[in-house]
Amino acid sequence: MKKYSLTGRIATYAIAIFWAFICIFPLYWLFTTSFKPPLAVSRVPTYFPYIGATEDMPVIINGSFFRPTLDHWNFLFGEQQEQTLRHLRNSVIAAVFSTITSTIIGAMAGYGLSRFRYYWARLGWKNDNIAFWIISQRFLPPATIVVPFIIFYGALGLIDTHFGLILAYTSFNLPFAVWIMRDFFNTLPIDLEESARVDGATRWQAFARIVIPLSTPGLVTVALFSFVFSWNEYLFSLMLTNYNALTMPVYIAGQNNTRGVEWWYIAALTMVMVAPVMFIGLFLQRYITRGLVAGALKS
Amino acid sequence: MATATDIKPLPPEDNSLSRELREDTIFKRFFLSPTVIVLLLLSIFPLLWSLGVSFTNFQRNAAQQAAQAAGTAEPSGFLGLGFDLTLENYQRVLTDEHLHVTARNTLIYVFLGVTVQYAFGLGLAALINQNFFGQTFFRLVFILPMMITPVAAGYLGRMMFEKAPPSALSQLLSTIGRAIGNPTLNIPFFTDAGWAPITMVLIDSWQWIPFMFLLLLAGMQAIPEEIYEAARVDGANNWQQFWGITFPILLPISLTAILIRGLELFKLVDIVRVTTGGGPGIATEPLVMYVFRTALDFGNFGYAAAISYILLVLVIVFSTLFLAISRRIQRSQLGVE
Repeated sequence: MKKYSLTGRIATYAIAIFWAFICIFPLYWLFTTSFKPPLAVSRVPTYFPYIGATEDMPVIINGSFFRPTLDHWNFLFGEQQEQTLRHLRNSVIAAVFSTITSTIIGAMAGYGLSRFRYYWARLGWKNDNIAFWIISQRFLPPATIVVPFIIFYGALGLIDTHFGLILAYTSFNLPFAVWIMRDFFNTLPIDLEESARVDGATRWQAFARIVIPLSTPGLVTVALFSFVFSWNEYLFSLMLTNYNALTMPVYIAGQNNTRGVEWWYIAALTMVMVAPVMFIGLFLQRYITRGLVAGALKS
Repeated sequence: MATATDIKPLPPEDNSLSRELREDTIFKRFFLSPTVIVLLLLSIFPLLWSLGVSFTNFQRNAAQQAAQAAGTAEPSGFLGLGFDLTLENYQRVLTDEHLHVTARNTLIYVFLGVTVQYAFGLGLAALINQNFFGQTFFRLVFILPMMITPVAAGYLGRMMFEKAPPSALSQLLSTIGRAIGNPTLNIPFFTDAGWAPITMVLIDSWQWIPFMFLLLLAGMQAIPEEIYEAARVDGANNWQQFWGITFPILLPISLTAILIRGLELFKLVDIVRVTTGGGPGIATEPLVMYVFRTALDFGNFGYAAAISYILLVLVIVFSTLFLAISRRIQRSQLGVE
């Protein structure tokens, strides 16, 4: 490998640590703010919890320490429990179900495009054209189709329903799911299926018993991306829900307007929203890289 | 690739195989049709309907009033039918200052955002691509911001940049201010029409530099070491190796990453919504926000659809130009090599 001078090495570490600080500090700030007493947020910036603080101490200690408190978390899961859990549940429902549907449907189409030859005579489209058409839907700005969604969801009674949101998110996730799965199946040798078929398995059995178990990594990548997308989505949740199916991002963004900004409370709420995705992301980060690279290199 | 469908039509007497072929035809339709149906219903159809609505004077309030007058519970003409066809929306597009400002904002986000994110992503990828202790740790830390919800990133931006409540940055600024004899030193990150769009780009970049970083790093790690060895034998230093070897090889993946981020930046709205809400005035309002404001706050579906088509046209022009330019760059690159 390359060799580097001592100064080069020091510079490398200096830049790496500086950038790591920029990445981590806002997250640290969010985390600590959810434990800060309101005064320790609004008076001066306080940086560290004073471990071992007792109840009779002032909330700001020594200018940059604060006395940690669980008040906001108790408020969030006590007095506000009903609201918090409802929006959390809405987010989970929308994300989980749209992930399941888009992964299944996407895997099927990906398999089809990888193993069969299609020809849409009227358009003159073959597999590659169809695949390109599917992926091009991902780059359509959702704002372009939001007006018909409002109109039709209103007419069909789908406004503010979980089903409506799941349907919309499925259609957003589908292009990426198809793209990744097609890519994945292309790398999967066809011999295994064929030998299973020679042994008397039907096409469906070969797909369900041989192909699907082998494609777990691809499916995980697709599921991960679909889940994160649906979990984070803002615009459609804002436009298509108002109470019963309202998801976390819209709920939290709405905290903006209530009497002053209660940062400590928003911080706790935001922690609840980002923690699941962050943990999933950290544990499955190799799938993230694969998903991004596959999505970018082949398009 | 040999699939069962490659087999040429068989003589009719071979029943088992022709039945299999027939099964395959059904099977292959069965696999692709759910996707095609979902996309036609939820993507293509709304897209065309949106185009239709953009040529009507469809107002939600008018629809509701008409329904009340008619005494029906469900507004009739609700689907955008029963409204007059008009070119008014597109005439208004030409003269609407508000639209022009929001379009400019969106373009600022796209071009500035892509530039900042690519530059930093490339630098950081080159940094981590070296062999040093802690490489894996830093790599993990660098991608943390990407895993956060954009709405949360917006709030984090406010916590970092806003003056009230006092943030670490405002404390740092006032410390510097006191040191240089200007105690009121302050950057109006959100309240100044010049600064606010830049702040939006900074927040979005904080979140998405990791995307560029990850892609470019993956690209760098795929470059075989022998190429560099050959260059070192010829006496190329690190700097020359980077611009002479790494950068050109990364060009295709760079262009794709830039295209993807650019297209995503056209959709930027959540960060703006929780930080400035589009303000001061409309200095940070992107096109997407103008679309949903026109639709939700004013109920003017016809004009909202027209604006959303302007957005679509911008996206198409951007990607077409970008693809043309990148094809040219790649071709000239090949010519040089």
